[in-house]
Amino acid sequence: MEYEWLTFARGPLFRLSLMIMILGLGRLFFIALAGMLQAYRRAGNKALDGSRIARQTAAGFVPSFRPHGMRLFYSIGSFLFHVGLIIVPLFLHGHIQLWEKGVGLSWPALPIVWADAFTLLVIATGAGLLVRRISYPQSRSISRSQDFLLPLLFLIVFISGFFASHPNWNPFSYKPTLLVHVLSGDLLIMAIPFSKLSHVILWPFRHLATELAWRFPPEAGSRILSTLDREDKI
Amino acid sequence: MLPPAKKAFHQPYSFFIEGPVGEERPRRFLEIFAAILKHSNYRFLLDIYSRLAAKCGRCSVMCPVYEASGDPKDVPCHRSELLLRVYRRHFSLGGMIYGKVFGSGFLTDAEIDAMAEAFYRCTACRRCNLECPMGLDHGLITRLGRYILSEMGIVPKALVVAVREQLQGPTRNTSAIPERALVDSCEFLEEEIRDAKGIDVKFPLNVADAEYIFFAPVSDYLMEADTLMGNAAVLHAAGVSWTVGTGYFDAINYGLFYNDHLLGRIARQLVEEARRLRSRKILIGECGHASRAAKFFIPNFCGGEQAPPVVNCLELTWKLIEEGRLKLNPQAISQTVTYHDPCNIARDGWIVDPPRRIIKSFIRNFVEMSPKGVQNYCCGGGGGTVSVDEIRKFRTGVGGKRKAEQLRATGAEIVIAPCANCKKQLREIIQDYGLPMEVKGLHDLIFTALETEGGKASPIADP
Repeated sequence: MEYEWLTFARGPLFRLSLMIMILGLGRLFFIALAGMLQAYRRAGNKALDGSRIARQTAAGFVPSFRPHGMRLFYSIGSFLFHVGLIIVPLFLHGHIQLWEKGVGLSWPALPIVWADAFTLLVIATGAGLLVRRISYPQSRSISRSQDFLLPLLFLIVFISGFFASHPNWNPFSYKPTLLVHVLSGDLLIMAIPFSKLSHVILWPFRHLATELAWRFPPEAGSRILSTLDREDKI
Repeated sequence: MLPPAKKAFHQPYSFFIEGPVGEERPRRFLEIFAAILKHSNYRFLLDIYSRLAAKCGRCSVMCPVYEASGDPKDVPCHRSELLLRVYRRHFSLGGMIYGKVFGSGFLTDAEIDAMAEAFYRCTACRRCNLECPMGLDHGLITRLGRYILSEMGIVPKALVVAVREQLQGPTRNTSAIPERALVDSCEFLEEEIRDAKGIDVKFPLNVADAEYIFFAPVSDYLMEADTLMGNAAVLHAAGVSWTVGTGYFDAINYGLFYNDHLLGRIARQLVEEARRLRSRKILIGECGHASRAAKFFIPNFCGGEQAPPVVNCLELTWKLIEEGRLKLNPQAISQTVTYHDPCNIARDGWIVDPPRRIIKSFIRNFVEMSPKGVQNYCCGGGGGTVSVDEIRKFRTGVGGKRKAEQLRATGAEIVIAPCANCKKQLREIIQDYGLPMEVKGLHDLIFTALETEGGKASPIADP
């Protein structure tokens, strides 16, 4: 029974999650791009400082070391969290084997010690960020359900994955652990386009988008008034 | 399914003008929002922002209002969410489906009141943007919120009265100064300059084909004589070709604070006057928002690269000093001086160094406040809030608290603030906190130190 669930979760369900993620992110990407193109065409001032935008965008990849309370923690913690998050799913030997079986692609794997280190890093920083979100009133007061549930989901994925790789340290039996890992992983992948995780595709555009939005279409104001059937009078 | 029309009329703040009684405010809000989304460039941005926001709260450590109030509603991301939530629920596919399925989340009167309060507690200083890891521009959202509210009549009276006079009134400026009074004012300043410096400086009115057409924040003609005398004396001493147009002479542009359409209309008035006199460039006096409104929105509304270039007086004066065209007496100012960065010229890194170089070229005792430059705190009166006298207690007590602490920490006797609004706010802060210092414009001090050929030597200050 478990075996069938596992085959399903790793096979058709995984492929479905992946497809939902790719199509969902693709949709968001094209909508964002179309929106930016339209904004550019309507813009009153089309001169863009490309190098400044590129610099600001690139600066986000490096954590901020300005010491000021939670800033430092969030910045470095988030950076390390993301590093592990991207490396482990892609470069874990076990995952590469899955890709090979599924789509016939393979690439070099990370030595298991490194994979373990990154996994533990993700778990530690992930838990730390979640605890911070709960304990800081500024973050807690503005957090929605997904802001608590998604980090929890990440922790489940990585903890179950770690236990699945290390049966000796696993308090639970192997197959259920693996099932939890794969199901939670599938859920996470499916959730990407429908939650704030969509930032994977939107984040690189943040500064360009903001810059374009400041270029107000010169005739927008009068058109808005005419749509609202109002005079241009104060 | 719309909620039943509310008979009750809300007027949250006495300083707001509000539309007719008994209107369905949520419906009006949504109609205006829809019209704006249709014709402007905001839609794709709100879509991106509403997905990107991490809700981390990192913005809160940068916000002077939050730092002083500790109130979660002052967390910038919380404020932006007030508007993003409306966008998501009423204008995004997912939100509309959710609403139909659960029948909930429709915009309410209380939420509109919350937005009106939140968007005017914010000064749109955009300091939070420096920290947001997702690149959200909360100042832009505040402005959009204010734009929507202003189109339904929820906007501080002080701002509306000023703009109405500027765009529709006979005097065409926010202080209702008639042309005759401007001419008299210029003559008076010319006399003052003659008395102080012994030189004949003229305010060249309506000169065609000048290099620069000068727009000061018009309140300077009433309240900051020293700054204007400094501006005029600098231009005269360096032999710059300039003019002031009596057809239009007000740099102030409150549209930047609350209404994109008015921002454009006012920007066009500056360019119209520049074109009437065939001036080559536009020169803005000591005013933060006016400088930014002109620099970034004249190209936007008046033909992109065809628009006349805009220069702020601090940029020009530094250039003149660098070229050796101005002589300043390094012994004229002995007091300790500090410098406040007006958000609208410093936050994007536009004008940070030139004023400091000017100061260091002739003032011995200069102490920086901390943080400074791009990271400096808002005076607390930005975004037009300084014009609302009714909220002075909030502005100085909460919004301006961090600035007061910064000022006190410098121990300076003079704080230089090259911005008309900052000057007003900083003076109120100094008064309300009992700080032993005064506020001056940079050109005020330049005027004191300026040495001119054939003129009187500038006084040497007591050590």
